[in-house]
Amino acid sequence: MIVFDKVRFSYGTRQVLRDASFSINADERVAILGGSGDGKTTILKLILGLLRPDSGKIIIDGEDITNKTEDALREIRRRFSIVFQEGALFDSLNVRENVAFWLREYTGMSEEEIDQRVRELLEMVGVEGAIELMPEELSGGMHRRVAIARSMAAYEPKMFLYDEPTAGIDPVNAVTICKLIIDLSKNGKGFIIVTHKVFDAMKVADRFMFLKSGAMIFDGDKDQLIHSPIPEIRIFVSELGSV
Amino acid sequence: MGIMKAKESIDNLQELYLLSFQGLLGLVRKPFYLKDTIEQMDYAGAGSFFIVLLVSLFIGMALSLQLSAELSPLGLKMYIGRVVGVSIIREIGPVLTAVVFAGRVGSGIASELGSMILGHQVDTLRVFGVDPIKKLVTPRIVSSIVMLPVLTVIGDAVSLFGGYLIAVFVGHQSGAVYWSSIREVFNFENVLSGFVKPFVFGYLIACISCYTGLSTRGGAIGLRRTTTRAVVVSFITIVAADFILTRILLYVLGFSV
Repeated sequence: MIVFDKVRFSYGTRQVLRDASFSINADERVAILGGSGDGKTTILKLILGLLRPDSGKIIIDGEDITNKTEDALREIRRRFSIVFQEGALFDSLNVRENVAFWLREYTGMSEEEIDQRVRELLEMVGVEGAIELMPEELSGGMHRRVAIARSMAAYEPKMFLYDEPTAGIDPVNAVTICKLIIDLSKNGKGFIIVTHKVFDAMKVADRFMFLKSGAMIFDGDKDQLIHSPIPEIRIFVSELGSV
Repeated sequence: MGIMKAKESIDNLQELYLLSFQGLLGLVRKPFYLKDTIEQMDYAGAGSFFIVLLVSLFIGMALSLQLSAELSPLGLKMYIGRVVGVSIIREIGPVLTAVVFAGRVGSGIASELGSMILGHQVDTLRVFGVDPIKKLVTPRIVSSIVMLPVLTVIGDAVSLFGGYLIAVFVGHQSGAVYWSSIREVFNFENVLSGFVKPFVFGYLIACISCYTGLSTRGGAIGLRRTTTRAVVVSFITIVAADFILTRILLYVLGFSV
């Protein structure tokens, strides 16, 4: 379980999160919505301990991670699998090496075993044909799918974190990514997806949160989101009417 | 505002010291990233070879030309080799190669690490449990410390050869006299003086470039700022360190000033 208790965070003088408080269970399918710069990605980084809050507490499975050392945080991070915005594939490695990265780094698997596992993962996300390509040769959608495969190679996570997984890609690829996100959560594993694309969020999530200028101004289900009177949410939801 | 700026500068300096120390610590703590280190050596060394060759050749030629113009009318052109040798081995060779290295390799390191920060690749490494300092900084420090001295030796040799070409074909000096002057200045003190500096410069360039790269913020403009800062700070640090090292080495080697 993830608990944020009055978390504040700022980049220099710019306050990004203001007293954000919420809790999310590991099996929930949550979408955090909000505009650019409203602190959505910051929340994911705080969950993983990649950033430290200015004040407040972040509790993961009952452990306060706010002041944990980098070594202690490594164990916490293994409970999650994250796909960063635009995939964050290593530029200098091809698709095979990107997916094999963690396996080579931390397991005693032979090259044949690694190769087999990499092929399985790439097949699962539907990009097995791209195994020898470099990241710059991939489309936006393929980038995300390879990143998902890489994140699954690392370890068995309790929960998936997705940072804008469908941003900047075409609708067909967006649908594929959404299907993949749902498939991966079928065995009871939850996820948090941060996005500004309410249409995609509706396809995958059951619970919705809305961030505005670093404050959580909404937390509810799909119906509550659609009928919310909050003007900022109305603007976001109006995207649905145009589809 | 001024106090905030000063505080920020002190914070940056502290972080740079910490990174420099942690980067060195990576040499004695597992895991060792040998493949990354070799790749960095190839980029820093082999990749800089021709540019160092060209710059060194022309600097050696220009220096010899200037000295020919000054010393020939005084009947002292037999000293061209000696002055070229001392200048190149002790001072110009190490500093010039370091400046070229900072411009090419330092800016490359800063922009590469900066783009890895902006693209969340460094965050990904941390999520995978990989220490970015050991994986990214230590191999770059090692490659710079190893390759800059090698490039400096090559650059010195090429500069001396450039000086020889001008001394012989323009200054009409005997080649034997030129090389015999060079041999005279090729003593322990001068060689040590010129050989210590590249190690220090390499370490400084790598640390500054890695630090500026890893502190990148703010998209394409931030990346431009990072690259510029890495090169400018490296240049200033090289010349300042050169002065300090020169003073120390002159004292240690017993030269009277």
